[in-house]
Amino acid sequence: MKKLRLDAIAFILILGGLGLANLLNVNKPTVSVLENRMLKGRPTLTVSSLFSGEYFRDFEDYYSDTFINRDRVVKMCRDIKDSMSLNEPGVTLVVSREQNAPINEKTPDTTPPQENPSTSKPTTTPDTNPGISDEAATSATPDPTPAPPREFGDDETVGYYLIVDGKAVQLFKFNREGMDYYAEVLNKYHDVLGDDVTLYSMIPPTASEFIKLKKYADITDSQNDAMDYLYGRLDPGIVTVNVYDALNQHKDEYIYFKTDHHWTALGAYYGYCAFMEATGREPVPLSHYETVKIEGYLGSSYTKTLNKELEKNPDTIYLYLPFTNHEYIMYNGNSEETAELIDMSYAEGSGDKYLIFMSTGGATWSVIKTDVHNGKKIMVMKDSFGNAWVPFLLPHYEEIYVVDARFYSKYTTGMTIPEFIEEHGIQELVFLFYMEDVNWTKFMNGVESHLN
Amino acid sequence: MVFSSLVFLCIFLPVNLFLYFIIKNRTWRNWLLIISSLFFYAWGEPVWITAMIFSTLFDYFNALMIEKYHGTNKAKAFVALSVIGNLLLLGAFKYSGFFVENINALFGLSLNVPRISLPIGISFYTFQTISYVVDVYRGEVGAQRSFFKLLLFVSLFHQLVAGPIVRYSDIAAEIEHREVTATGFSEGVNRFIIGLGKKVLIANTAGELSLSFLGTDYEKLPVAGAWLGILLYAFQIYFDFSGYSDMAIGLGRMYGFTYKENFNYPYISKSATEFWRRWHISLGSFFRDYLYIPLGGNRRNHARNLFIVWFLTGMWHGASWNFIIWGLYYFVLVFAEKLFLKKLLDRIPAFFSRLYLLLIVLIGWVFFYHIDMGEGLQFLGVMFGRAYAFTNSEVSILFRGNALFLVLAVIASTPLAKRLFEAVKAYFQGNRTRVAFMDRVFKPVINIFILVLSLAFLVGQSYNPFLYFRF
Repeated sequence: MKKLRLDAIAFILILGGLGLANLLNVNKPTVSVLENRMLKGRPTLTVSSLFSGEYFRDFEDYYSDTFINRDRVVKMCRDIKDSMSLNEPGVTLVVSREQNAPINEKTPDTTPPQENPSTSKPTTTPDTNPGISDEAATSATPDPTPAPPREFGDDETVGYYLIVDGKAVQLFKFNREGMDYYAEVLNKYHDVLGDDVTLYSMIPPTASEFIKLKKYADITDSQNDAMDYLYGRLDPGIVTVNVYDALNQHKDEYIYFKTDHHWTALGAYYGYCAFMEATGREPVPLSHYETVKIEGYLGSSYTKTLNKELEKNPDTIYLYLPFTNHEYIMYNGNSEETAELIDMSYAEGSGDKYLIFMSTGGATWSVIKTDVHNGKKIMVMKDSFGNAWVPFLLPHYEEIYVVDARFYSKYTTGMTIPEFIEEHGIQELVFLFYMEDVNWTKFMNGVESHLN
Repeated sequence: MVFSSLVFLCIFLPVNLFLYFIIKNRTWRNWLLIISSLFFYAWGEPVWITAMIFSTLFDYFNALMIEKYHGTNKAKAFVALSVIGNLLLLGAFKYSGFFVENINALFGLSLNVPRISLPIGISFYTFQTISYVVDVYRGEVGAQRSFFKLLLFVSLFHQLVAGPIVRYSDIAAEIEHREVTATGFSEGVNRFIIGLGKKVLIANTAGELSLSFLGTDYEKLPVAGAWLGILLYAFQIYFDFSGYSDMAIGLGRMYGFTYKENFNYPYISKSATEFWRRWHISLGSFFRDYLYIPLGGNRRNHARNLFIVWFLTGMWHGASWNFIIWGLYYFVLVFAEKLFLKKLLDRIPAFFSRLYLLLIVLIGWVFFYHIDMGEGLQFLGVMFGRAYAFTNSEVSILFRGNALFLVLAVIASTPLAKRLFEAVKAYFQGNRTRVAFMDRVFKPVINIFILVLSLAFLVGQSYNPFLYFRF
């Protein structure tokens, strides 16, 4: 032993010590608060998982996910990487990979029968919109062992975030195929539903469209141009809601979160104004609403990038409490429960506070019944951007049906969307997906699958 | 299992070393290595471990027969049987899909393309057993009488998964008897840590960054982005593979085995010929000793021999045409260098010949990366100006964000740090305390720093692909 060099002794002590420390650490964490996701659990050993190699793969993930002091080490690595950057402080381009199974997820029971694996993606939570899908970004030399079949939404997607002046923006890369496909899917809905149901296409852009990028103006493609491209391809019978101009007029206001990819409730309110304008109605002034303020929110862009500038610069959530009497019922699989449209239980702790809106918004489907007895019924097919928007519709409709494109399952309800619309006598259908989802073929795949 | 996984580093290796060093009996030590190696392999390949054991058994008998019938035609028959058998095994697992696809394309058929998963390390161990059998045939080494000792050679977890291609003759004596000294062990640790750092700190970072450029929409890729992307890929592939070889060599030394060097700063070469003497040395020398020279080397049919060697070298890297093109690309370069280019390269200033080498290597990696040849050509077009812009904000932000990393990777690609260390020691010559300080304090402290940082990054980054699994 005495002749062993210092590094050899350290090598044995460090590796052995870490091994022991992990062995003795019985209270393994199950969630990462820092990254806002479920950590991998200890896999169960079965004959098939053993022989497919799955057990070993899962065990490695479990081991590194629950490694002692992981959160602290993750932050340390971030600091080391940050310190090596020569960019002016506050400017970083972060390439982030999607993680699945974040915390606070209410797992919707939408597992479809095997014959249609692309209907829903139970691994993704309602609050997390996948970033730019970049299928080609996989390694050039894929594993020889074919990966186990992946479910829709399970792909490794890459999102680009630019962090500038303490704000994170998701960078937009125009994808022509994705755009064409969006138009194709909406046109199909229009063909099936005919003129009895009014269709609206409403696409909130992301914050990257409105941030002032003096130096890096070319870094993100124009979403306004993308919208123009798209509207040329939509059936003229589909009403397009000009969210873009509505937001653009207020671009200096707090319409997007700094640490989260969603719009704020204020941004959603301007989106609502645009919708009212498209339908020729007067919006309810914001002053009618009682406001609640929640401070210290670090959202999805932070958990994906763990950027220090964002950490220093948390968001404040402003909530506008509905004044219309209503009942909000969420149907998850075969169970139904009454929920709060503004669910303050998500305001506590360090989890994702955007889930306050519509109490996650993740259900097979849900309905809001109001005491506005005007007989008007609308369906909103949405992604998470819809969660902040739908509550503003309350004064105008008797029944509002809400379907998250990712969680609806015709196998649970026994109805396709057109059948559902007919069954409930719905007169209007709004498609509200934010630009990244519109741009993402796989997301629109899900939307198309609810058609028939 | 791979070396750069926390399960290997914090469970497998400490437990294995502990058991290895409390067991003093030589036979038991070998048994420990066999059992743990099989476990190591089964961790990633629970089913096709059978193929490896079968291959070993097959060549165990072939070698015994060859030795028994030494000098007769029967020996020839057994060596042929062994080589054909090994190549069939490799062919069935690695190339059957590729083969059927090409038959289909050639004859317009639609035969079912078999989708067989490639057992880990098969490209390495089939070559190792071939070299064993041929060496026995040539009388360079005696046949191993014990099946389990041969299995130890084939399955040894140090080099099983990603090489280097260790020849039986190199470690035959060490299988029977080996000694581990404190110095040898320390050197092994030193080497392992350097390899781990190369893999975790440089290769993984470069790989992650390269994703911003490679495999993206090339219509929106500026010229500078293409160069930066392929440069990052060059770093990724070199540090990944050579890091892995370093770890294998280091592990070998910890356990008393000596493996030959596999990389020798390839990116400082001044010609393609030199590059291939410094890159994946165990593969190059395998093809040289067991193919090129038996074919006649440079004595007869030189061009044909070179063509065959480079065709197969390319093909060994993966069952896809782009790898073959990549191999043939080097055939053209090496042959041209043999004819006239080398003389020219020797005469011009070293700066230009190094520049030439870097340029051709980067172009080579474009072929290597792009399975789809069309995309590869498009990427080359972007590199040489057929792009919408020279640079853009994304490239400049990423470049400035990682400029220090790039400098570090460049330095690590050269023997600069090593030479500096030696120079400082030479400067201290005569002062034994100072030299001892450099060797016994300074270097170990640097190593500990690299180790801790690598472990932190392994915990910190879930992203840890293993590039050479393809082979």
